[in-house]
Amino acid sequence: MCSEPSSDAAPAARCLLCNVGCPVRVIRSGPDQYLPDYVPHAGYAGLCGRGSVLVELLDHPERIHESHRHAPGGRVVIGTETAAKEIAETLRSAGPAAILVDGNFDVDAIAAVGRLAAAVGARWSVCVEASDAGLVHGLDSSALGAASLVGPEALAAADAVLIIGNAYATHPVAAHWIFEAKTSHPRMKIFAIMDACGVTAGFAGAVFQPRLAPGEAARAVDAIASGKADGLGPDSKVLAACAKALGEAEKPAIVVGANLGYADAQALGKAVAKLAAKVGATVCPLTTYGNAWGAMRAGAAAGAGCPIELMKSGPKTLLVIGRDMGKPAALKGVERLMYVGPMPNETSRAASLVMPAAFAFESAGRALLGPGREVSFGPLLAPPAGVPTLREVLAMMGAGADARGDVSKPAAGAPDVPCGKAEQPADGAIVLALACDPFDFADGSLTRQASWPRSVRPRPVLAMAASDAGAAGLVNGEVVRVDGPAGSARVEVQTSEAQRPGQARASAAFAELRSIFGWAPGVRVVGDPATVRLRKV
Amino acid sequence: MSEAIAGREVERRVVLDLDRCIECKSCMAACWYGHGRMTGINFVEVGPAVLPLVCRQCDEPACVEVCPAKAMERGPTGVVARAAFSCRACGSCVRACPFGVLSLEMVGHQVAKCDLCDDRLERGLEPRCVAVCPTGALRFATPPEIESQGLTVLGGRVAGDHPIRRR
Repeated sequence: MCSEPSSDAAPAARCLLCNVGCPVRVIRSGPDQYLPDYVPHAGYAGLCGRGSVLVELLDHPERIHESHRHAPGGRVVIGTETAAKEIAETLRSAGPAAILVDGNFDVDAIAAVGRLAAAVGARWSVCVEASDAGLVHGLDSSALGAASLVGPEALAAADAVLIIGNAYATHPVAAHWIFEAKTSHPRMKIFAIMDACGVTAGFAGAVFQPRLAPGEAARAVDAIASGKADGLGPDSKVLAACAKALGEAEKPAIVVGANLGYADAQALGKAVAKLAAKVGATVCPLTTYGNAWGAMRAGAAAGAGCPIELMKSGPKTLLVIGRDMGKPAALKGVERLMYVGPMPNETSRAASLVMPAAFAFESAGRALLGPGREVSFGPLLAPPAGVPTLREVLAMMGAGADARGDVSKPAAGAPDVPCGKAEQPADGAIVLALACDPFDFADGSLTRQASWPRSVRPRPVLAMAASDAGAAGLVNGEVVRVDGPAGSARVEVQTSEAQRPGQARASAAFAELRSIFGWAPGVRVVGDPATVRLRKV
Repeated sequence: MSEAIAGREVERRVVLDLDRCIECKSCMAACWYGHGRMTGINFVEVGPAVLPLVCRQCDEPACVEVCPAKAMERGPTGVVARAAFSCRACGSCVRACPFGVLSLEMVGHQVAKCDLCDDRLERGLEPRCVAVCPTGALRFATPPEIESQGLTVLGGRVAGDHPIRRR
């Protein structure tokens, strides 16, 4: 099958591994061999490493191609329609039943999940990164109008920018337009609220580094708006300078990602909205999931509930679509687990029944990259023979083929996610928070099995202060064990003079690292930083 | 210059604007997938920054001179590239390169080498690393073209807006 250059009539395929939503294309380089094709076309401004990985995922050797049951004697392959009917029947009859769908499918597929849930009498929910959910709720519940919420291309017109989070690392292509703005306005002031050791900090005129305490980033943004920076430390004069620059600019802009301690994200969204309204700034939200906004809004419009409440309610039968729920302990109490998705993961391995489904980028659909940024996308390539799209799967299960997701209304109504408690590290301990990066998508469930992310970073890297490393007798590049509240993992130490002592960062894409945090409903809020200790192996 | 090296030189090279590199390694990923999952771009730590090292397409390439298998050659377009089947992974070119841009890859016992994506040059497109770079840090240009944009070209291969001060 050959991919022809897209015509003006056909919508481009889109990378949805972040909400920049870069157009992507492939070129055939041999029989059944495809390469990413980087050509200038509408909307193209570059492609980060994650986007380049998409082509490898299309033909990944571990991909799920057949429906199967896990039985005591091994795997039993069954027909696709048989599997679909069995899943639907099990949801209908073996209750209480629930459906969890990953938010990176297109909005109409998500609406179809809602139809299926209604048809079989199951509760359901949409899962996105906790930080994305918080940011969407925070901004959607604010009074900020849709015209003030912009995509990264609008940043080219800015003449003062506040960047919250390590945006150049988490969303490299978004940096394209900030550089364009800087070319147009060489004296443009760039402020950052983030770790001083992150790459974005090197391009900012001034950086405020919040402590890794949930709520701290939001307090910093509030301080810019109010002028009161009590308790934020001596760096807080940066916030006053930022307030002045944004207030004096003709076209100020605020870029906000939410990787500073996830429980902060909703409060951060609200604080950013207040500040933007005060200084007349546009806001460019950057989410980890490309379709985070579409997923949350389509889900809310179609009756989806909160995923935490859903799991707390104790479903006996659970269908998971496309999401890696992690260790089986997270699904305690579920008696019948079923999985639908493109790639194997912990959840599919624990499921009794597994069905393949195409990746979101293998079918045409709609996504909402941000308020007012609905895009229609075409397939990068058709899925392998015998692998249905998610909408086809849901139609087989009885959801009907004509569901249409409604993304017009804000995803309001979510309760405020409580900020976790600030950790006070004892001697020798540091506070560790996880963040997304340009090499892996979100929790790594899609990209950690690809060759390039594995080659560039085979193990987790822990970025920490040089003074903390020295005090622990560790050197740059040393492999150590990090002990957290719920386990330990091996990491490679990377020291930096710029990192605040007592704090450290690592990528969220490593399951072995996430597992040491002990995130669970009622125990620790997902994404909260945790106190850890390092020891030599 | 030996006969093997004589020939047309490249006009345009990949030039790195030091003040725009955000260390995202998009260039490395593009090179990896465009060259059979081997990359011709290495990274080096320069103080706090991690910058890409791209083949400089030297006028007198040491890698070509030392290759015992004639795997490294300057082609008709002037691009110095590696013939994959001829390469024996002896590593002579890796040691000879004065800029450290070559790496000895274990997969397939082949050496990864920048070929300026000659398959794309034939289509009138820029090398992959340049095409994906989100900030325009990597440019495919001649030194006069770089200088016309107000940048200082350093050693013919890197550029910045000031000869000494870096961001």
